[in-house]
Amino acid sequence: MPTTGCIDFQNQMEKWMEGERSPQGQAHVRECARCRGLLDDLSLIVAAARDSASAQMEPPPGLWNSLRAQLEQEGLIHEPGRATAGWFPRMFGVLPRPVFAGAYLAALIAVAFALSGPINQRINKARWLRGSESAMLPVTSHIKSVEQGTNASALSPVPDLNPVATASLHENLAIVDKYIALCEKSVQEEPENEFARDYLVDAYQQKAELLAQLSERGGNGR
Amino acid sequence: MNTSQSVSSGTRWKAAGLLAPGFLLLTAAPALAHRLEQHFTVDPRPVITIHNPNGKVIVRAWAKPEVMVVANHASAKVEVNAEQSGNRVDIMTRQLEDTISPDDLRADYEINVPEDAELQIHNDSGEVNVANVLGDMNVETVAAGVDLEDAAGYLTVKTVGGSFQCLRCAGRLEVSSISGALRLLSLRSYHVRAQTATGNILFDGEFLPNGLYRLKNYSGAIEVRFSPGDSFDLTATSLKGRVNNQAKLTPPTHPPHYLSKFSNTILGTLNAGRAKVELSSFDGTINVLKRD
Repeated sequence: MPTTGCIDFQNQMEKWMEGERSPQGQAHVRECARCRGLLDDLSLIVAAARDSASAQMEPPPGLWNSLRAQLEQEGLIHEPGRATAGWFPRMFGVLPRPVFAGAYLAALIAVAFALSGPINQRINKARWLRGSESAMLPVTSHIKSVEQGTNASALSPVPDLNPVATASLHENLAIVDKYIALCEKSVQEEPENEFARDYLVDAYQQKAELLAQLSERGGNGR
Repeated sequence: MNTSQSVSSGTRWKAAGLLAPGFLLLTAAPALAHRLEQHFTVDPRPVITIHNPNGKVIVRAWAKPEVMVVANHASAKVEVNAEQSGNRVDIMTRQLEDTISPDDLRADYEINVPEDAELQIHNDSGEVNVANVLGDMNVETVAAGVDLEDAAGYLTVKTVGGSFQCLRCAGRLEVSSISGALRLLSLRSYHVRAQTATGNILFDGEFLPNGLYRLKNYSGAIEVRFSPGDSFDLTATSLKGRVNNQAKLTPPTHPPHYLSKFSNTILGTLNAGRAKVELSSFDGTINVLKRD
């Protein structure tokens, strides 16, 4: 449970990450394991942001662990074997496709959001844009591949038992696509606009959920 | 007027009068072709799950410690199952054949539950209507609209295109949709989170002390109604749309650093600012209007 001290500290976290560390903040970090953990995660995210030009993005282990714990708790994934592969193929192996689409995209979105968060506020527009694009790249490319899978299943001979619901899903997917295009345009024009990026992240999340539902329908006709 | 014709005509009307109810019964018969009524005795706080692909789901609370399920479906290609497992009752429409028409899938339910029941409803299309149930509730639909009345507890509602209306709801409410409109009327909730992409949002309820009211859409209008005696801190932001405010707000002494220079924002405090109201839209209009 965050305390008032946590809230005060988190309000000055941006300055903290830039090296401005007040005695009160230092005292709070010594006492509060939660804020220490948050700082560790942020440090990893900042380190990842520095490497954002690299195509392969690995989320911080803490983020993956908490996501994994959450998914296990909700019964969405089972205890995987002692896989030696990285977190991406391990997750791909144990999750059913629609859950994978939602959960994996949620994780990527979380990383993308973190990468493009207020820590980077002072860097210039070009870097903002580059950072946003590279952070969103895995999300958009994965959405495209899920989309292709969904289109392929739509062509399968499985009858659509509930055309009203399916039509609604397609109609809303078109709405979200339009909304994504407009948000992307805003982000392109004003890369520092966190509000627009927040909406873009929301739109991607909604698209991932819709695709997961369409993909489920393609599988069993309902 | 020809008498014989008149008699004949009268006889025909009488015959029609006798035949009509029979004919109506015959035509109505398919709709009631399969009817299920089941009763389950339950303990306090039972959990009721309902899974129905298409149709009307009506749930009403009553004073009995019992769940009554009345289901109607026209087709023999689906069956309705209601089973009790401990203090949980699972109600489900099941498809019996691989290839059936969309209409065959339809089943309508009228369910009575104790008022402290917890509900989990999944209904893709049709409608969901729940009244007087005070337990926690989770409703998920695709195209079906959702109407709640006098509900309480932790209410989570998710639709894709279905609209949502909550009348006199209390407790905690989280609702999300993509194109559905959201209407929150005479609400007494301490935590409201409502999000839709293109639908309108109307909030006309109380702002409880320490309550949090967060309404967000992409386009469409967000309308919030207040009384002069209400007490809240307001942040209303629209990136490309307008923000209209009729509340006499006290501006903050230190505007927060996170305020975006790219958006239209109104913020301030009404009276003691006991509740927190956050409204945001991408290109929709936000209206904060005084109640008549």
